Amino acid sequence: MCIWCEKYAQGYERWYFNPANYARKLYKIRKEEAETSLEAVPQAAGGMSLLRQEFLEAWEKKDYAAMEKMKQEAEQLSWATHFGQVVTLEDTLKVIDMIYPIAIMTCLCRRSMLGLPDEENFTCMGMGAGMYKWERWPNNYRGGVQFLTPEEAKDIVTRLNKRGLVQTLFTFGTPYIGGICNCDYPDCSAIRSTLDYGIRTLLKGHHVAQIDRELCNGCASCIHRCQFKALSFSASQQKAYVDQFQCFGCGLCVTECPQDAITLVERASLPALANVW
Amino acid sequence: MLPKITVDERKCTDPLSCRKCLLICPTHVLGLGTKVGPKKFQEIPRDKFRVAGVRLEKCTVCLDCVKVCPNGAIQVSFNGGVAK
Repeated sequence: MCIWCEKYAQGYERWYFNPANYARKLYKIRKEEAETSLEAVPQAAGGMSLLRQEFLEAWEKKDYAAMEKMKQEAEQLSWATHFGQVVTLEDTLKVIDMIYPIAIMTCLCRRSMLGLPDEENFTCMGMGAGMYKWERWPNNYRGGVQFLTPEEAKDIVTRLNKRGLVQTLFTFGTPYIGGICNCDYPDCSAIRSTLDYGIRTLLKGHHVAQIDRELCNGCASCIHRCQFKALSFSASQQKAYVDQFQCFGCGLCVTECPQDAITLVERASLPALANVW
Repeated sequence: MLPKITVDERKCTDPLSCRKCLLICPTHVLGLGTKVGPKKFQEIPRDKFRVAGVRLEKCTVCLDCVKVCPNGAIQVSFNGGVAK
């Protein structure tokens, strides 16, 4: 079982369907931030503040034990404060119906990775009590925020999903859920930390993709949808191939398949995958 | 051996507007940060933004960033010498 559901679902089907995890009383007023200027932490640029200079030094020395220790510490810190889980579009739409207000804003990851101008970068959604206080941190919200009706929010995530971005829910002081991110590799810090360094700031979702090889006609239109390096094209079979241990269960490939050859199955229904997060 | 990327901040004055190096890097090594930490009720001015080499273990020393920089602000060193 998903450890977050175990701890925080409180009888709901999934932890992110439990309204208590969006409740105002969980929202913590942010303290003054620890210094994350470039002089103090060069890795803070590009969303890598979880790993410091010492990590690169250990990498250079091939000190794998030290690297592993730093990774584990980073993961624990992220799980306690700010981590995400992949959610399907369907589940995201349900969450949007549960929580108010919802606003869209500039994506901090893509600003730090690409320097995208804010007007081209409104792909990040915030929700709940914190959104009433966004003006306290104007640099995080360059370009302002735009409050959305639930219908507008659903329309936007559906369009972002169509564009190829993965929906993820993020905690701000676990288990308080305050954000719906729309992520892709390599410009989302969480996907990068997870795939490139094995620091699971982004957990896999509750589903796994399965391909029906009879139905798959080998058109390959799904392959580019995968942001997690789980989909490839089998040259010998001329069909799509999914590495189910690597699949994050976002469902992006499912929606692109013209043959309806890909389905999402419950992670829990596959015993060996049930605890692969 | 890790490459070293230095960005001369006197030459790179507004990376948030320019961002050519961020876009060209094939392995997304570079990151954009700020000289000062986040402050309450303050937007960080554009001249406090800085580019830095972040994921240095992914740098192939292709020097695309060096070539694309309109101000010649970026230098990449490898094996103790400036890569050219």
